[in-house]
Amino acid sequence: MENLEFLSECFMVLKQKKEEGKKVIAFISHDNIPEELIDAAGYIPLRMVFAGNDELMDASHDYLPPSTCAFAQSCIGAFSIKPNNLKFLDLIDYVVISNHCVSDICASEIISKYYNIPQLKFYVSYTKTENSLKYFKLELVDFKRKLEELRGSVIETQDLMNSIVKYNNFKRKLSELSKLTIPGSQKLIHFQRAILKGPDYLPELETFLQSQENAQKNEKGKPILLTGCSIFINDYLNDLIEDGGGNIVFFDTWVGFNYYSQIFSDEQINSSNDPIDLLVERFKNNIFGDHSVPNYLESKISQIEEFSINYKKKFGKKVGVINHIIKFCDHMSIMSSHLKNKLQEKGIQVLNLERDYSRANRGQLTTRIEAFLEMM
Amino acid sequence: MSLVADELIRFSSVLRIAYNFLTGRDYLKRKKFREKKKLISIGLPFSDLVYGFPDLIPVFPIRMHEFKIHKYLTYLGSASNIFGWNRVSNFLGFVKDLGIKDVSQTVDNIIEDVIDTINEKYNEMYDFGEECGIPTDFCYGVKSLYGMNVSKGKNCDANLNYTIRCSAWNKYLESIKAIGNPSKQIWIEIPPRNIGNSLELFKDNIFNGIKELEEISNHSYSDNALRAHFQTANQIHQFYKKIIYDISTSDFYPCNPATYSEILALLNISFHDYNSNATRYRDNISSLMDEMKGRMRKGIGMDVSERPKILITPMFGGWEPKTHDIIYELGGRALYGDWDLLRFLDDIPISNRLDPIEAYAQFLMDVTSEGIGCDNDTLTNSYVRLAKDLQADGLVFVQVFGCHSISNCYRMLKEKLRRELEIPSIALNFNKMGENVEQIKTRLGAFMEMFN
Repeated sequence: MENLEFLSECFMVLKQKKEEGKKVIAFISHDNIPEELIDAAGYIPLRMVFAGNDELMDASHDYLPPSTCAFAQSCIGAFSIKPNNLKFLDLIDYVVISNHCVSDICASEIISKYYNIPQLKFYVSYTKTENSLKYFKLELVDFKRKLEELRGSVIETQDLMNSIVKYNNFKRKLSELSKLTIPGSQKLIHFQRAILKGPDYLPELETFLQSQENAQKNEKGKPILLTGCSIFINDYLNDLIEDGGGNIVFFDTWVGFNYYSQIFSDEQINSSNDPIDLLVERFKNNIFGDHSVPNYLESKISQIEEFSINYKKKFGKKVGVINHIIKFCDHMSIMSSHLKNKLQEKGIQVLNLERDYSRANRGQLTTRIEAFLEMM
Repeated sequence: MSLVADELIRFSSVLRIAYNFLTGRDYLKRKKFREKKKLISIGLPFSDLVYGFPDLIPVFPIRMHEFKIHKYLTYLGSASNIFGWNRVSNFLGFVKDLGIKDVSQTVDNIIEDVIDTINEKYNEMYDFGEECGIPTDFCYGVKSLYGMNVSKGKNCDANLNYTIRCSAWNKYLESIKAIGNPSKQIWIEIPPRNIGNSLELFKDNIFNGIKELEEISNHSYSDNALRAHFQTANQIHQFYKKIIYDISTSDFYPCNPATYSEILALLNISFHDYNSNATRYRDNISSLMDEMKGRMRKGIGMDVSERPKILITPMFGGWEPKTHDIIYELGGRALYGDWDLLRFLDDIPISNRLDPIEAYAQFLMDVTSEGIGCDNDTLTNSYVRLAKDLQADGLVFVQVFGCHSISNCYRMLKEKLRRELEIPSIALNFNKMGENVEQIKTRLGAFMEMFN
């Protein structure tokens, strides 16, 4: 199924749910947003997972200067132009304003203000101290209270726990997908769709996983670990990597590891009396998320090094790292040279691939990716 | 020779603040090596806690650099040790008035050097930051701070890092460790919003930061020392506010408006660390206020009643320093007041609180929730408030390339200014000092025509 068809199907599903009285809550920042709370409230969490293009970026310049994160620009552009494949943006009832980064705040506020979508605030601590965790809990409680106000009734603890279990099981399946030895493009398409559609995508995911049970290994190309910014729906980046002879074996991004790795053990779930505490615990353990300071870089380096060593042991091949940096991304950009230097000191080859969503970049990206893959 | 330099020498306090800024390296070396004090690097006006320890010195890292100081300013500095700055300033005024060409030219050069030297150093640090690997898409402020830390950060015993709404800032702070800076990193998280008991949590974060400073200092933390500093800081804030408000809104200035803008710019730069000596800074800013008021009382200065008041903001993260000269030449007067806009000039509320840490937590929480804001609605309200309080006739918005935080809300601001204050505004793009002066001239020319 092509993405266009899939997005059209998403539109129909959302429309149907809206007709049943459900509300849609969209958010730009993926990390740390408690989608289980939204689900437990009976609402539909909708992650903005759409790549940009020249038109979408240009359309945002009425509101923000061009020296803004290309993804944030594109999110605004998507609301401004509402291209046919993103018609379901019309169905959004609320937008979450969060501080994953300051561009996230700005873009979400603009979407809320200029497209008349009421906002819900959810701010996240930067550090991971005891007090930061307590603050995160305050935000969760505040967010829950606002959702309860909207729906006019309390979110029961059991309902929240059920949502946590539902999403947990869903992420476990995605984790299984990540371990398959199939082309990165196949994994990516399922990751993207799963993250857009949520646990409703589980049947399709399970069908695909079953189909792969007895399938032969089908992994070609030089192994690549993709870190940094995500590859979103309708982005051509993965095609360039595969056309150049590479294959992404590990998606260390929002769309990928960052999402499916944030799961609870059965023991955690069974021993917990307060589901809010579980969500706090998850935030605490999310040390690879780029929002956090001051140990993000160190954690990221050890994570990539560990993966690289294990991959070499298992498959006998060295993995190369592509650090995908969307232009003007505060989080990925400033650390990029340090990440590269530190990993190269450990013998891991890194390509810092900075780009925006303009078509004109495509040729240059191809050249850089091919050169990197040749060098590997 | 600029009128600015001609007039600046009449304010001995300005000479002192400038001299203290430029000779920071020697001062800090003396403190570090002779007096065995420890340097704590800070950025933005977050130096207050450091003053709670007598053997810790807060420093805005650019001040550890050697500035090309005019040799006569060095002589003047030495002379001031014997005769005092007032006499030196009077002497300079006297030789200027004599009109002896060579001497007069030297005096002009001294003063021009002060302002230009600071800006040149900022640009040098910007270039150095880029050379050392900071990506080009970051803003001027972060790039130059990065350069400062790579070059001089190792001289400090610690960095005092506060998280704010700007993600580039928070990540820049994290990157200090990655550039091989061996100094201790002390983090204090300011909660993004004031909800629930977040003020209590913040108070505890500050207390933990103090404990870490205590590990560096040879002294224990004392409420009294911190309270005493907060009293000094509050005096600085009050004098600074008076300089901004009492003078800016007056129809008669104690100097020409370009000089006044220059003084405001110097205060803006030096406010970060109070030149590493808060009581000295307090005395200087108090003298500056007296000198200005004194001149106004005597009718020395300039009638500016016909000149529209143009607020230039934000400028603390980088701006084109020629802007105020251009506005002056075009018949306006340029005003700067970023620290007040961001609520850094509010009183630290120690009078009604026993615990100074609690008072400081409240102060910084107000900065976050009502000044810089965790959202653009609050931030734009702050811009509007300052423009309103200064009775500004127009606003020049500095849109810093790569800034995603404080200069990324122009559209929203423009609408609010039109709706609430009915004043015009213009956005000027800024990347690096001196890079875009001709374009700024053209744009400001068109903008200022609106006031004719």
